[in-house]
Amino acid sequence: MNSENSVGELVSQPYKYGFVTDIETEKIEKGLNEEVVRLISSKKKEPDFLLQFRLKAFNQWKKMKEPIWANLGYPEIDYQDIIYYAAPKKIEKKESLEEVDPKLLETFDKLGIPLSEQKRLSNVAVDAVFDSVSIATTYKEKLAEYGVIFCSIGEAVNDYPELIERYIGSVVPSNDNFFAALNSAVFSDGSFVYIPKGIDCPMELSSYFRINSGDTGQFERTLIIAEEGASVSYLEGCTAPMFDTNTLHAAVVELVALDHASIKYSTVQNWYSGNEHGIGGIYNFVTKRGHCRGKKSKISWSQVETGSAITWKYPSCILQGEDSIGEFYSVALTNNQQKADTGTKMVHVGPRTRSTIVSKGISAGHSSNSYRGLVQIGSKALGARNYSQCDSMLIGDQAEAKTYPYIRSQQPQSNIEHEASTCRISEDQLFYLQSRGIGFEEAVSMMVSGFCRDVFNQLPMEFAAEADKLLALKLEGSVG
Amino acid sequence: MIRQDAKVILDIVDLHARVEDQTILNGVNLKVRAGEIHAVMGRNGSGKSTLSKIIAGHPAYDVTSGTIYFQGENLLAMEPEERARVGIFLGFQYPIEIPGVSNLEFLRVSTNARRTQLGLEELDTFEFEDLVNERIKLVQMDPIFLNRSVNEGFSGGEKKRNEILQMALLEPIVAILDETDSGLDIDALRIVSSGVNQLAKPNTATILITHYQRLLNEITPDYVHVMNAGRIIRTGGKKLALELEKSGYEWLDAEPGNQGGLNHG
Amino acid sequence: MDEYLQWLDSLPKASGALKAIQLRGRESLKRLGLPNQAIEEWRLSDIAHLKKIIQYPYVKELNQIFDEENPIKSLVDNKIQIIIDSQDIHKESINLPKGIRHLNQSELEQSLGHSIEKCSFMDNWTVAMNHAATMEVLGLKVEGKNLPLIEIVIPSQRDSFIPTRVIIFVEENAELELTQIIQGSQNSVHSHVIEVHLGQEAKVNHGLLAFGEMNSSLMANIAIEQNARSNYSLTTVQEGWLFSRLEPRVVQIEGQAHTNIKGLQISKGKDQIATHSLVRFDGPEGTLDQLQKAAAADHSHCIFNGSIEVPRIAQKTNANQLSRNLLLSSNARIDTKPELEIVADDVRCAHGATVSQLEEEQIFYLRSRGIEDDQAAALIFKGYCQEILNCLPQNKDKTQIMQKLLRGMRK
Repeated sequence: MNSENSVGELVSQPYKYGFVTDIETEKIEKGLNEEVVRLISSKKKEPDFLLQFRLKAFNQWKKMKEPIWANLGYPEIDYQDIIYYAAPKKIEKKESLEEVDPKLLETFDKLGIPLSEQKRLSNVAVDAVFDSVSIATTYKEKLAEYGVIFCSIGEAVNDYPELIERYIGSVVPSNDNFFAALNSAVFSDGSFVYIPKGIDCPMELSSYFRINSGDTGQFERTLIIAEEGASVSYLEGCTAPMFDTNTLHAAVVELVALDHASIKYSTVQNWYSGNEHGIGGIYNFVTKRGHCRGKKSKISWSQVETGSAITWKYPSCILQGEDSIGEFYSVALTNNQQKADTGTKMVHVGPRTRSTIVSKGISAGHSSNSYRGLVQIGSKALGARNYSQCDSMLIGDQAEAKTYPYIRSQQPQSNIEHEASTCRISEDQLFYLQSRGIGFEEAVSMMVSGFCRDVFNQLPMEFAAEADKLLALKLEGSVG
Repeated sequence: MIRQDAKVILDIVDLHARVEDQTILNGVNLKVRAGEIHAVMGRNGSGKSTLSKIIAGHPAYDVTSGTIYFQGENLLAMEPEERARVGIFLGFQYPIEIPGVSNLEFLRVSTNARRTQLGLEELDTFEFEDLVNERIKLVQMDPIFLNRSVNEGFSGGEKKRNEILQMALLEPIVAILDETDSGLDIDALRIVSSGVNQLAKPNTATILITHYQRLLNEITPDYVHVMNAGRIIRTGGKKLALELEKSGYEWLDAEPGNQGGLNHG
Repeated sequence: MDEYLQWLDSLPKASGALKAIQLRGRESLKRLGLPNQAIEEWRLSDIAHLKKIIQYPYVKELNQIFDEENPIKSLVDNKIQIIIDSQDIHKESINLPKGIRHLNQSELEQSLGHSIEKCSFMDNWTVAMNHAATMEVLGLKVEGKNLPLIEIVIPSQRDSFIPTRVIIFVEENAELELTQIIQGSQNSVHSHVIEVHLGQEAKVNHGLLAFGEMNSSLMANIAIEQNARSNYSLTTVQEGWLFSRLEPRVVQIEGQAHTNIKGLQISKGKDQIATHSLVRFDGPEGTLDQLQKAAAADHSHCIFNGSIEVPRIAQKTNANQLSRNLLLSSNARIDTKPELEIVADDVRCAHGATVSQLEEEQIFYLRSRGIEDDQAAALIFKGYCQEILNCLPQNKDKTQIMQKLLRGMRK
């Protein structure tokens, strides 16, 4: 058996979430200008401060250039050929789930995220976001008993404007980068989480993002605030239908952790990645950043990236509070014509701040997988420490793996260690497993999963199994 | 244990094979009956390790002609994992390290693959742990190695014990042990050998590939075969091994031709 | 920009093999303009300093800065010393041993720039600057084995711009030990380009010692082309320059070769010392072993950028890179950026980077044995440098070099 080819075939698994939900949506005209920004704001009945935030961002965006330094090489995006607002009709958020359009409930059922009272997951509160509009949030009442706020950003803008005004754009400024500016100008919806002082959030919080429209840009915004001594674990999942055009997704996630607070943010990204010829798929440009503002605070990013035609994403931590901790655990699997340029930034500002980076890239087919990281130790970060490890696995001789770990230090009393390696699944390892009766597919899947173990161990229980399954699914044979 | 009426379970017929452009096997003939222990000896490069890998189905070797029958079925048509499931076991000379893959999980998945083939129920994690804890005593291996990655950071002796543990779990019909004695001190050799002896049953057979005689003091073979230049050139009883020990392999060069494969019985 | 063009026009015109190259260099310089920080490979460089140095006048005459007491002057046994400057290479004055000869005019025309092109240096600003200005070239052909060590010394002149150019053709099976010494002096600006071509199974051990002085600057490009089964070792030491930018590039044009790169860069005061290396495998089964060490003291800045390219054809490549950095002051800065680009799947590539200060535990251990703090630090720092110095070609008195490295270093 030619194991090279077979491994290649293995990773070419049809996408299982490619269906489209037939639902009436309200859309505005294609194109972006100041009027469109105002229109979005007025449709969402936003207070003036938010309109001003959007307009400022829009003006900044007009002057900015799309970044070209990443190894992505996608065709030029026509920003005037995108619809910037679409919402399912009859979307008025319902008091009870029974009033939500059954088609939407069915959609989420099909995706394995049941929302109805009887079927919903027992220890995970879910905010279901359909085409960037939140349609339902489960367990709101139970969370409210603890003072935990978990709702859509749209609701939060109306119900908790002072929190939004105080924190929005405080971690990712509206002019941070081209895509963040675009998001700040036109963001539609997303999730908002507030954990009050001293509260350990009693359940996992989860947002499930579903893209349904083909020609609509997707711009969610997520904001999570953990007050002093609070802690929360948040999960994010994403899927999209198969279209032969590319859909732009430019999200912003901001996390704020105050003294002794901790936020764990996990993502399983499985947007449609296009077909084997690179036609269609999501262009995923995401700015995710956490700010460890308080002392001994901790922000931990875990991500399993398997989808999207293009991924441009660097979940980062600004470690300002003394003794604060940043973590980044990532698995990125690319296949066919997929291109991923992902990594992290750990900016050590405060003394004794610590960070850990573990990145595992798997490239198959004709895909390209880049790790791009920055570890920066500022002159005041006395006693800071970083450990980074980034490993690449190549499957087939047409795949590319690139590693750009950047280190900058201005503090002698600090310690930075970086290790990286590249490997492939060796024929001898495969044969060894096979000679013990383990099938070829399972053997490959075991080894890939073993390669990713350090990262999977960091995911919350509920998600670790899902991530493993997702990877196994991607590696499953094309028959059966 | 030689019983002429016992069933032939492995039948290698005029096997020729090569790797890349190099011919390695040149017409190997070998019949193995239930209950028998065979030793294959020979110098480095004589083809004995290749023979074991071809029986197990290593993809690097091309069989150019000849066949291998296992219980009447054409073994060469099977994938390596199918061979393992029907009862072929190769104990590797250099067991492979597989970082990140848990040894316990690996053992469980392979054991269940074999059980499914035998029509037995798969074992869940708890049942399997009971089984492993029982079988591990046979090789006197520290259970701590179960929680490590497959063979990673194991010493030579620990790797070999892990091999015999796998054999104890898979309960193969034909076990081929490739240089299992290499790199073992005398105590480890005894433990491994006694494991092999205890696992031998009237309906199974063992093929020992070895360079030295010392393993044969621990496991008594019914037949000793000498390989040279890709063929079995001589077959005898245990005495042949002792002869080799004494006189080395030089006589091979002196002997004109050879008897080809030997079909005993 | 005007000053830049004026300066370009002020450079003298070359003849012979260099004429065409000089023309191309000047065209490139005009097209490229001055480097700016928007260009990734210049992002961290002190561009203001670059602007200053292009105004220095072209060197008139090189002073022999080596006096009688300078140990570098005295010939060690079995060593050929070639002193070059931009005007005159003293061709006739050198008695080359059997097995080494000067390249003739037509050989020069044929081979000059070949390795530069292979190393993708064609649009490199510092190479273009060197080509635009160089008036002479030292070209050598090496055909034998067991030859004496060749030492190429590049002296200096205050307040001058000094371009120098070397090409060495090492034939199949030949072996060469080569040391280059580049000396800076006050406000001097060195531009140096060397090409080395290694034939099949050739072996070269190459050392480059670059010691600057007050406000001196260095821009050096090393272009190495390796044929199959050749073995190339490079050891570089940079110290004492206000601005130094060293770019070694090695291309294994058929793979199956071995490359060994060791580097040491030490910055003090307000120095900015940079190494931008690139190794590319254009064939299978090549190996690389790379260790780059940097130490930054006072207000200085050390930069390392190490690229490794493994294209599809380079199956079974085995490459290792390690960047080890010492940050010795809280006003100093270290930037290190390994870059790995791999398309082949059957390869082993590992790289690592560390940034730290001198090991407290080690210092404590020495102090607990009665050694003073400063002395302990100096001892450990010496050990840190020694690992690289040990890799230099034979016949170099390494204590001299060590003393130079230790000058001005305090805990």
